[in-house]
This record gives sequence, structure tokens and C-alpha cells, in this order.
Amino acid sequence: MKISLAAQHVVKHYGGVIALSDGNLEVQSGEVLALVGANGSGKSTLSKIITGVVAPDEGQLLLDGQKMHFSSPQSARRNGIVEVYQDLSLVPDMTVAENIWLAHEPVAWSKIVRNREMRARTRDLLDLFTGTIRSSLQPEALVSTLPPDEKQIVEILKVLSLQPKIMILDEATASLDSRQVDRLFELMAEWKAQGMAVVFISHRMEEIFRVADRVTVLRSGKTVGTALLDQISQQELVNMMIESDVVSRYIKHHEEATSSPMRLSVERMRTSVLRGVSLSLREGELLGLGGLRGQGQTDILLALFGAIPFEGQVTLSGRSVHFTHPRQAMREGIAFVPGERGAQGLLPVRSVLENLQLPSWRRYGPLLQLGKARKDADTVARRLSLIMQSLNTPVNSLSGGNAQKVVLGKWLLREPKVLLLDDPTKGVDVGAKGEFYKILAELREAGTSIILYSSEDEELLGLCDRVIVLHDGQVQAELADVTLTRSELVAASMGTAHGGAV
Amino acid sequence: MIRIPVANTIRLRRIALRQSYRFALLLLIIAVTVNAALQSNFFRPSVLSDDLQTYLPLMLLAAGQTIVIIGGGVDLSVGAIVSLVDVLVVRTMGGNPGASQVFLAIGLGLATGALAGLVNGICVAYLRFQPIVTTFATSFVFSGLALWVMSSPGGNVPPGLVDAYQANLLGLPVVLWVMVVVLVLWNFLRSTRYGRYLYAVGGQSMSAYVTGVPVSLVRLSTYIFSGLMAAFTAVALVMSTNTGDPLIGGPMTLESIVAVVLGGTRLSGGQGGVAGSLIGVVILSLILNIISFANIPTWWQTLVNALIVLLALTGPGIVALVRRKL
Repeated sequence: MKISLAAQHVVKHYGGVIALSDGNLEVQSGEVLALVGANGSGKSTLSKIITGVVAPDEGQLLLDGQKMHFSSPQSARRNGIVEVYQDLSLVPDMTVAENIWLAHEPVAWSKIVRNREMRARTRDLLDLFTGTIRSSLQPEALVSTLPPDEKQIVEILKVLSLQPKIMILDEATASLDSRQVDRLFELMAEWKAQGMAVVFISHRMEEIFRVADRVTVLRSGKTVGTALLDQISQQELVNMMIESDVVSRYIKHHEEATSSPMRLSVERMRTSVLRGVSLSLREGELLGLGGLRGQGQTDILLALFGAIPFEGQVTLSGRSVHFTHPRQAMREGIAFVPGERGAQGLLPVRSVLENLQLPSWRRYGPLLQLGKARKDADTVARRLSLIMQSLNTPVNSLSGGNAQKVVLGKWLLREPKVLLLDDPTKGVDVGAKGEFYKILAELREAGTSIILYSSEDEELLGLCDRVIVLHDGQVQAELADVTLTRSELVAASMGTAHGGAV
Repeated sequence: MIRIPVANTIRLRRIALRQSYRFALLLLIIAVTVNAALQSNFFRPSVLSDDLQTYLPLMLLAAGQTIVIIGGGVDLSVGAIVSLVDVLVVRTMGGNPGASQVFLAIGLGLATGALAGLVNGICVAYLRFQPIVTTFATSFVFSGLALWVMSSPGGNVPPGLVDAYQANLLGLPVVLWVMVVVLVLWNFLRSTRYGRYLYAVGGQSMSAYVTGVPVSLVRLSTYIFSGLMAAFTAVALVMSTNTGDPLIGGPMTLESIVAVVLGGTRLSGGQGGVAGSLIGVVILSLILNIISFANIPTWWQTLVNALIVLLALTGPGIVALVRRKL
């Protein structure tokens, strides 16, 4: 039985941000379609629209040529369209069988769940992965006791148990080992032969070329093209993903940064995500962390700030350190500007003054010298050119850009040696971004070393002296000077190393 | 042939993890031993039967509370609902009711309990209020209404009802049969699809939601269950105390939560079961018994209850903290 799905001219705004301006996709029975694009190109938004998780603002979905409207994931599921979730949808305290059959359990006439049947059918599903999973992965095992790869497999089997016609796999291979990936690809070939349509979203170039028949490329919210994979080279695909190789610098390279003394070095850092990352940072240098989202960039920052446990060696100004609490890191002159400013960076209902001074109150004596604190805060506010009524204005009345400047400003008062920035301009308007970049340049000039993770490639290319590209928790490439180009960055993000990349 | 023992050990581990009765049973044995030492006639059938009669109301209440807690909530208004239904039933029966009047009164009481649960459930499941704050607030509404219906203890119930409560059926006390019925119904409930939904909602509501579980409806239902069980509790209390009391449910809220905790149900939800809570009630009552027989001032009971809940709330956090330090 044939099926085809098409998304045509799909548009989605989140507030003022355009996530998708012209999303197009077509997939039909018996094929695997790869969906690729750089960060923020709209892959996830497009897949969420297809599966009914978010509603499109404009455009239409055609299922077998019929116009469709999915109001919820359930209505998409009723039409045979399902997605394997990347952030897992499992209940940890329930068994593998219970999770797989949740909400479509086999029941008897008395409404009692047929446990034996459920277990047997779960065993049949698990048998698909025999040889690549531990024998202890039984229908009765609790999901909370499983390692990440087996959880991902349970997630895939859960979707498979719905007998879908169209399956979307969003980075489903990220936590699987190579044998499990091989097995999954064999199964995908079987499903294809049985008439299933598969949409495969992945950041691994090698996998895309191995498993997919066609590829659809998204670039800044637009579908820019579709190609047959046996008629396109990796380099051509990368070129489709990027607009042009012309890079606009927002701030100048720091010439002295290549010769200044070493400020920070990290040797073989390991966390649950990182698999041995080494990097170094000089005084007054701006180092960028690139790559697709969730490859371990944030882990590096959090580990350096002492917020998550890690293994490996960190040397700060020639001294070996290992912070286990943010307080220790702060004392040594490390500052962290988090990405989720509402939840981690600010006290939204408190005033600008209090937010700016929160990490620095101890300087103002046991009985707080409020006058002095106010004067210092005022200096910082002016330096940041904060637009606000007064220092007493609550931060939640500021615009996104101004609020983010406050998050940065509260660390300026402490004159940090190393500044860690976690996607600091997310949701910030262009004007405020420009001012933000100027402050970074000033800080760098004053000798502050900066590590910047940004989900926008433009920022990494326009701001950083050097960029380390992470892929699967490892350093894929280190780009500087002539290699710091858009195509090198995108290619390294997808796991290929070409040209002069290390 | 080899697979069976593997499956069995996994099932055992699952039972142990999901409903850690082991701790409850250990406590039960200790409590029974101490009790038997202090009270020489502890094992006499008539004494045991009396004990069962005093356990039943709290057991019914704890059963309802268990369902709410497994579903990821908590119901602090159960005691107030008990008070309200208690006086409502006595007031409706009046002085010397006929059979139909009795059934009407009980029916009205049960409907009131379910309605009170519905109010809680709508606030929590659909208006997204915090369960603790919501049910704390509504508890004052319900206890206020109870005082409005009957401002001081009074009234009486027909002797037939009292006799029925103390009667035997097939050689065993009626109250024991009620307990058996509660357990059978619970086991049926948890074997249905609804049972899976309940554990899923309490375990990880977001996962349940994206899987297509009707999360709000399940949450709503838990509060209706709890309200209804509170009403049954009130009916049992009316039958056993032979009178109405607008303050009778007050201390029972904390007791119901303590019983759930002692029975091995985690306060964070998604795990546990009613059977454990029934054992919890027995343990709790035995502790009370010990306190009264050992001539310890009764206010210790409140302190002990509060400490048990506090320990249950802080226990997992302390364990995690200790593990992290190691």
C-alpha cells in the first residue's frame, strides 16, 4: 500500500523569530529521505509540524494528495505518522514492555491488560536487535536501569509497535553504537521494502550517504533543494547547506592573542557527553565552540565552571585546578553567562541593581554600602548602554537584548579572567547583538579570555579568533585564519574533515 | 526453560522496586512483637476483630490517598471531606430513619465526596494549580461546610448500622471482607489500561503526554477516587462511632499520608500500591497502640507521624547527597 506525504510552503514563527519561512518536503512509500541543514535551519520545526506537535502558521500538508490538518501528535499518529523522539518519551519507573505498549496496550474484553501477550510481542520486537543489546534487556526490565543506547532502542521499538506508515527519526542514531546503527539500517531497508516511508534527520554525513535515497536541504528556514544521494558529493551537499563563503567579521581578530601567555588549558576532559576533549586558551583570546547543538559544547562550559562533574585536567594560569562548585570557579575569576537567561541568569522580578550586584555583594561590607554599590552598578549599566528607566526597574520589564546585557554585566563587576558564554545572543535583536559584540571586544582587549558557544555559525565566524568544532563529544576540527570558513565549519559539524582542518 | 527463572528474578526485582513492601513488613513484625509483649491478649480473636474495626476507616482513606500520590499529586483535603460527609450523613438520616432514608443519606454522602474530589481535580488537572496549595485551601472550605452542617458533635444512627459494622460474614468480620474487596478492586484497577496510565502520569507526565496518555483526565480521576474513598471512610466512621462529629477527619489527613509512606509508596509518584498502604495503616495503628500501652503521652503520636513524613520527603535527597560526597 502506497503512501505519500508532502509539506508545501510551510511557515512557522515563534514570536518575532522566523523558524521556518518556506519549508518543503516530499516523501513516499519505499524510500528513506534525509533531512539536513545547519543549526537553526528549521529541521526540527518542520518535523514537528509534520507530526502535529506544533501547528504551522501558513502552508499545507498533503497526505496522499489530500489536504490534512493535524491538531495533535495523536491525530498525526492515527494517520500513521510517528516520530522517534530524541529527548526520550519513556517513563523510567515502568518496564520496557509497559513503555512500548503505553496507551495502546492489548486488552481483554474485561479491560484487563493482557500482560502475557504484551510481553511476548515485546520480546518479538526486542529480537529485532538481538546480538546488539544485552541479554538483560527483557520486557520486564525497568527502563530506568537501561543505558542510553538501549533506551533509544526501546524508543524506536515503541514507535514501531504502532505499525507506522511514515516514520521520522530525529538524530535517533546519536546514542547508538556502530553495531546497533548497522542493525537499525538493516531494519530500515526492510521497512522500506514493506512500503514504509522514512524521514531520517542526522548530523552524520557518513550515515546519510549510507542509508538515505534522497536528501532535502534546509537553509535558514527555507528548503533550498532536494537531490538523489548517488548523484551528489559530500562537498556539493555542504555547499547546498551554506549560502556563500563570504564571512563578515563583527570584530577584528586579536593579533596579539597568538603570542600572549596561556590562560587555560584542558586535557582529555570527559563527562557523560564529552569523550576526551583537549583545548587551550590564551590571554585575550576569543575561542569559539562550534558544531551542531548538543555535541558537548555546553558540557565544556559547565564543567569548567564546576557545575557538573568531569574527568580530566584543567590548568588555569599555570596552576592545576578542579572545581566542584561554581563558587570555587568564581573565586578564581571564571564567569559563566548561561543560555537560559530567564531560568539561570536572572532573578526576573528583582531590580537591575540587585541582578547586577548579586555575585558581588561581599565587596560592599557586612552592612551593605548601598550608595557605592549603586554607583558601581551605574557605571556598568552605562558601559553596557542599558536601556532602562532606572536601576530599580525589574529586569523582566527589559527587552531580551537588554536583559542579556544585565547577565553579562553582573560578571563585568567582578572583572573575570575567563568568561564562558553559552549561546548568549539567543533571542536577542540585531541592535542589541551589535552592542553585545562591542562589549566582548572591549573585554578581550582588556585581557579577558573568552570561550563562546553559539548556535549561530555567523557569530562564531564573525567573532572568534579560533573555533573548535565538536562532533559526538570529540573535537572534530580546529579552525583558524584561512580554515575559519563557513564550508569548513559546516563540513566539520557533519563529521567530515576535509581541506586543511586538523 | 532457562528463560523462566530469569524472568522470575526480574519480576521479583520489579516488585521490590515498585512496591517496597519489605520495609513495611519488617516494621509490621517489629510493631506486632512489641505490641504482643505489652498487651497480653493481643492475639485473642475478639481483640483482633476490634482492632480491624478501628483500622478500616483509615485504610479506606489511605487507599484513596495512594492513588492520588501514585498519580503524582497529593490530597490534603481528605480529612476535611471525611468530616463533611460524616456530619452530612448523620444529619440526613435524622433521628429514626427508614431503610430508604439510610440509603439516601449514604448515597448523598458518597456523591458529596466525589463532588469534592471533582473540585480538587479540576483545579489541579485543568487549571494547573499546585496540588498541595489547592487541596490545602479546599480543605478549609470542606471543614467550614462541615461546621455549617453540624456545629458540634451529635446525632445518632440506627442500631442496625452499628450491628452491621460489627457483624461477621462466613465466619469472618465484615470489615475484613471490605478490606479484601478494596484489595481486589485495586488489583483489577492496576491491571487495566487505566492502571498503566496512572503509573505513567505519576512517573513522567511529559513522556506520558507525548505518548498519547490522557494526562489531565487521569489526574482528575485520582482526586475523584480520593474524594469517594474519603466518603466511604466517613460512612465507616459513622457506623463505628454511632454519631456525627464535624472535626473527626482533621488528624486523618496526615495519618493517611504517613500510612502511604510506610507502605513503600514514593511521595514523588509513579510507584507504589494500595496493599502497602493498608499494611502502613496497621503499622501506624500499632505504634499508636504501643504509645498508649507504654504510658507515653499521646502527643508523641503527632510528632512520630510528622517525623515519618519528613523522613520520607528528605530520605531520597539525603541518600543522593551522601552518594555524591562519596
